[in-house]
Amino acid sequence: MLSILNGLSQSLDAYLVLSGVLFAIGSFGFLARRNAISMLMSIELMLNAVNLAVISFGAFNLKLSVDASVIALIVMAAAAAEATIGLAIVIAIYRNKKTPLVDEYDAMRQ
Amino acid sequence: MTLPETIPLLGFGWDDLLFMIFAAIMVGSALLVVIMKDIIRSGLAMIIAFAALAGIYVLAGAPVVGAAQVLVYIGAISVLVLFAIMLTQTKNAPRSLVFQTQAFPAAIASAVLAILIAVVVASTDWGESATRIWTDTRDVAGRLFDGFVLPFEVVSVLLLGAVIGSVYLAKRERGEEN
Repeated sequence: MLSILNGLSQSLDAYLVLSGVLFAIGSFGFLARRNAISMLMSIELMLNAVNLAVISFGAFNLKLSVDASVIALIVMAAAAAEATIGLAIVIAIYRNKKTPLVDEYDAMRQ
Repeated sequence: MTLPETIPLLGFGWDDLLFMIFAAIMVGSALLVVIMKDIIRSGLAMIIAFAALAGIYVLAGAPVVGAAQVLVYIGAISVLVLFAIMLTQTKNAPRSLVFQTQAFPAAIASAVLAILIAVVVASTDWGESATRIWTDTRDVAGRLFDGFVLPFEVVSVLLLGAVIGSVYLAKRERGEEN
């Protein structure tokens, strides 16, 4: 029983579907949350999903296996830079507007 | 003592069990990140999601990426996010309204996206090998400092620029109150 699940960790599809689910969760958070920092956390989730897809392609292709790890490391560094800048921008806006909620940043609309 | 090839009574291997546990933890805590009302708690759930993802990297045969995930995401980015949360918390903020008005269409769109990706993944022949390939850390180091040395240097300059830029953005102007 349940032997249909045998070999799940040996199939590329399982990893890619997991990555797709994580990306979808992140995109929902980005579209739906009001807090700017929640949106940044959702972006981090989406970047992680992309990294997972890269790693899983590398894990199932001999020619890509080393390159995938290198690319994932570089993506991580770019994500760290993105998080730093994003949070600094949020803090700078918070200092002026006194709110972290993105739907109250409406100075350009008035 | 050696473990049996597959788990008794369940009929799948130990790796598969680990994969399912990590995947369940990761998806569950990622969902908590996007739906929890208290933003500090969603920051903590994000740490759990990153940790489970590091486990999945190790399962996928890339242990050095898993280690970097723990160092960079759990050690650095999560702490940064938690600090930013604590700097921007307001006591009188309306806590009940965590979602925008377009949350329901966004949920539908995300579910459609997930289903679409799953269908495309299942129906495509990726030409993959039958088993996972374990990536040797020494090979990764060699490739990083040989073929990828230009991107490596560019990304280090990018990080330096990002750090300087964020210090400039977030620092208080001289003479500014509060």
